[in-house]
Amino acid sequence: MVLLQTGEESAMKSKNRNVRAVAASVAFSLIGATSLGISNASLAIAADCSTIKLATVGDPYEYSLKEVLPDFTAQTGIKVVEENLSYDALQARLSAAFVSKAPDFDVTTTDAMWIGQYYDNGWIDSLNTYAKASAKDPELNLKDFLPSVLHSISTWRGNLVGLPVAPYAQGVMYRDDVFKKLGIAAPPTTSGDSWSWDKYVATAQKINGKVVNGKKMFGTVIVGQQPVPIVHMYTQLAASKGAMWFKQFPTGTWDFTPTMNSAANQSAAKAYVSLYKAAPKESINYNWFAAGMRFAKGDIGMMYWWSPYFYLVQNNDYMSGKPSSIVGNYKIAALPKEPGVAQTTSIGGWQLTLPSTSACKDNAWKLIKWAASSATQKKMALVTKYGTQFSDFGRKSNLEDPALVKIYPYLPQLEKMLASGNGKNVRPPMPLYPALEGVYGLQLNKILGGADIKKTLADTNSIFSNLLGGNFYMPYKGKSYDDTFANTTALIDSLSQ
Amino acid sequence: MVMVRDRRKFKITKISLYFSLTLITAIFLLPIIMTMLLAFRPTDTNFILPPHLFFKPTLDAARNTILNWGQNGHQILSSLIISTMASFLNLPISFLAAYGLSRYKFKAKNQIMMWYLSLLMAPSVVFVIPYFVLFSKLHIRGSFISLIIVLQTITVPFSIWLMKSFLDEIPVELEEAAKIDGANLFQLIYKITLPLCAPGVIVTSMFSFVFAWNNVTFPLTLSNSGTSTIPIGTLGYFTTSGANWNNIGMTAASAIIPPMFIFLILDRFVVRGLTFGAIKG
Amino acid sequence: MITKKRTPWLFMAPSMLLLLGLVVYPLYFAWKNAFYYWNLTTSPKPLQFIGLENFKNVFKLTPFKASFVNTIALSFSGIFIEFFIGFTIALILSRDYLKTRLFRAIIILPTTIAPVVVGFLFLYLYFPNGGAFDWLLKIIKFPVPAEGLLGSSKTALPSIVFADIWQWTPFFAIVLYAAIISVPIDLLEASEVDGASFFQQIRNIYIPVIKPVASVIVMLQFMRLFNTFDLVYVLTKGGPQTSTRTLSYSLYVEGLNNYNIGLASAFTIVMITIVNVIIGIYVFIFLRKREW
Repeated sequence: MVLLQTGEESAMKSKNRNVRAVAASVAFSLIGATSLGISNASLAIAADCSTIKLATVGDPYEYSLKEVLPDFTAQTGIKVVEENLSYDALQARLSAAFVSKAPDFDVTTTDAMWIGQYYDNGWIDSLNTYAKASAKDPELNLKDFLPSVLHSISTWRGNLVGLPVAPYAQGVMYRDDVFKKLGIAAPPTTSGDSWSWDKYVATAQKINGKVVNGKKMFGTVIVGQQPVPIVHMYTQLAASKGAMWFKQFPTGTWDFTPTMNSAANQSAAKAYVSLYKAAPKESINYNWFAAGMRFAKGDIGMMYWWSPYFYLVQNNDYMSGKPSSIVGNYKIAALPKEPGVAQTTSIGGWQLTLPSTSACKDNAWKLIKWAASSATQKKMALVTKYGTQFSDFGRKSNLEDPALVKIYPYLPQLEKMLASGNGKNVRPPMPLYPALEGVYGLQLNKILGGADIKKTLADTNSIFSNLLGGNFYMPYKGKSYDDTFANTTALIDSLSQ
Repeated sequence: MVMVRDRRKFKITKISLYFSLTLITAIFLLPIIMTMLLAFRPTDTNFILPPHLFFKPTLDAARNTILNWGQNGHQILSSLIISTMASFLNLPISFLAAYGLSRYKFKAKNQIMMWYLSLLMAPSVVFVIPYFVLFSKLHIRGSFISLIIVLQTITVPFSIWLMKSFLDEIPVELEEAAKIDGANLFQLIYKITLPLCAPGVIVTSMFSFVFAWNNVTFPLTLSNSGTSTIPIGTLGYFTTSGANWNNIGMTAASAIIPPMFIFLILDRFVVRGLTFGAIKG
Repeated sequence: MITKKRTPWLFMAPSMLLLLGLVVYPLYFAWKNAFYYWNLTTSPKPLQFIGLENFKNVFKLTPFKASFVNTIALSFSGIFIEFFIGFTIALILSRDYLKTRLFRAIIILPTTIAPVVVGFLFLYLYFPNGGAFDWLLKIIKFPVPAEGLLGSSKTALPSIVFADIWQWTPFFAIVLYAAIISVPIDLLEASEVDGASFFQQIRNIYIPVIKPVASVIVMLQFMRLFNTFDLVYVLTKGGPQTSTRTLSYSLYVEGLNNYNIGLASAFTIVMITIVNVIIGIYVFIFLRKREW
């Protein structure tokens, strides 16, 4: 049976169909053309370099840098489009962009441990020529930086690879009101053999479970989250006890034979487990912020952690702008030390680096230099949108500035912590670090969950060996660089002529 | 039908069943409502227990997310572009295949149908890694066109199954009669089959739109900041320093509403759509 | 039904070519690179031939065993619970003395949401000391772990399964409802006259009726559960430790977090083999006599 239609009806119907068909095809062609045409950012970035792209991470410096960025545009005429990402999002984004050689940002925020990977793979440029050209520029003033800061986070293979915009050290925060109430002696402000890790653990255990001012206290709080955050806290303890990742790095001829199951590391793992036992159970899943801000909640006796928390815990929650209950009741103390072992303070934090795929390197350098300058860092510290919100200085001029010491009275202590630090020994920035860190974090978290320390660390060692061997780092036949403090100082001198 | 033995017992049964249904529906509806409410809550009411149903709504989250072009506004457009193109581009290809499978009988038909179906049951991650490498090499990673092409692995098999089930409903006799009248294959399809299965085509494209819209595995790894989709936008507010729940709620609501709306329109075809046409409903 | 030789293939050619192209490339890529060491962060090309080393490492270096166990547990428990509850709901919905149109329209809504968004929904509800679900569980004195539902390795995987159950039980309910209402009323009435109890009705009438439908949707949903990635990515990222790692998630970590392409390729091959075996077994048992 064939459908019969009158001639008129079918003519009308086919006319309507034609109109609809044409309309549909036009619409779809437009969408199709759009999709073919738009292959990158829908945010129109000028083809010239009058606008540059900056990648930042949600650490405290970003909250202050954001407020003062307009000054950069006013000063240079260069507009900055900032994209703020979380830690893992930043790392993923940068890796993806670098791996696919797709130009993404003009200035990137880089963590201290990524510089080996980024530089050796050609993902970021050396800043040596830029620094040399700006040697007389007061905005740069490399010698104003604490050499230990540049040594720990911004130099690689004799190159300056970034300028610190928020370097961190690690120190102890403790509730002096709780200590007084419980009759515990206050920890010293400088590292000494009497303030040992054993004493630190014992103090935490002493406080744990006691009720002070109606609140049940935990001795301490730790960072337990895998795969990355736990490594950042744990390695401070491990390094302070003398545990090293490899046989020989970063000085001398490099030998990446892993030493994860050393006696020192086992001792550190035992201590970390003891600390976890004196901490809230949920801290096994705490990342950097969760642990640090838990101290601000008021039920933690003491903790050791990155220096930004010295001011962050003034707020009741991360960047909340509302004062916490512990304002005025906590003090800063030195990191515990292992008797007989030279102290190693972890230095970390953030710096601005120059991706090799950027098309606007000159303007990028201008932003890097400006953001890390003494004047800008001071401006950042004076932003009070969220109360006290930035004191992560690496420059002597900022750390010793009386106006800033007034706001952040612990700055002299912080300067001492930074001056004695060596980030490269704590978290070696060799190119395979990100991969190794992920494995390490998983294993450490297992230990917190009850796994046998000796066996797990031995497993870590064999997994490390596997990874290092497969990537031609074991045995290491590449070029080593004798990354000593002296060589860094010489580099800084040569760049400041 | 229940034999009415006892009128009162029957009424009690009815009431208790309605009660159960209401409870069940509430279980499936409440989480959605709570998330939508998140979009307009003032931040300090996010986690108050018991949850506050009444509060002074604020547009802050909307302003920070979807009303901000640079933040999530452009993601809604990206989602629209990708989902529309992905679902429409596959139609001619899928229609042809569906027609062949519906109208013809041949030995390998079952195997072929199962092969298409198995593609839908493959883990998407398996596709993502090779395409990440390939598209990076070709410098098209992050482009709309690359995402639309990869999404065809989902939309084509799905559309073939669904459209075949619609085509199966159109009596072959109509086409055979037209053939007797002298129409060739092309005219046959164009003049008879296509108009009759137009509703089916529309339904298929709307369902594949939803599946493309909800897909996260491909945009997560193969899009860049300019072409990311709105479900990806939800992820951006869950950071290591804490989550901005209101922004998550707002972007989530934007990601939820279009598919929900489409499903409500296509209510009649829901069973067929969700089972890729395998079950007529 | 027209029986011809060549024409059907012409019709299917465009789709088959396109899909073959899209599907063959990943397979070819996986087979080519599974035998080489290749890490994208250190080199843009595969490095050295290492034979079966990658395959060994799939089982040695990645949490394969845990991922596999978790995936199986998640798939089976999810499927059983979703089917059972869905079938019960379908039975209620199909009572012809109830008006269920509105209920049916609302119940299906969870399945329309992107799995990632469902993840956030539950992240909000599971939030320790603030989420509504965490609160409800505490009210009924359920032992919620101090680290939160998603923070303890005992409750993390069940919490993920629960989120999936919430989203997909309505699917079973609606589809099985459609099958159930196709049962002719006379058949049911006749069985009642014969004195059949409700459970006897279920066994002898409903179950046979839904068998063809059920066999298809159970396969589809089982595979969907087996491939779970989105929920894990949002809710737990595979943690705590490896208690919520699924096969898809572990593959993602190796390939796109660690950029270890060689290892990921070997993992891909292993996973595809497993998936094919499962689908093959299922189709053979339940669907081989089916005519589509």
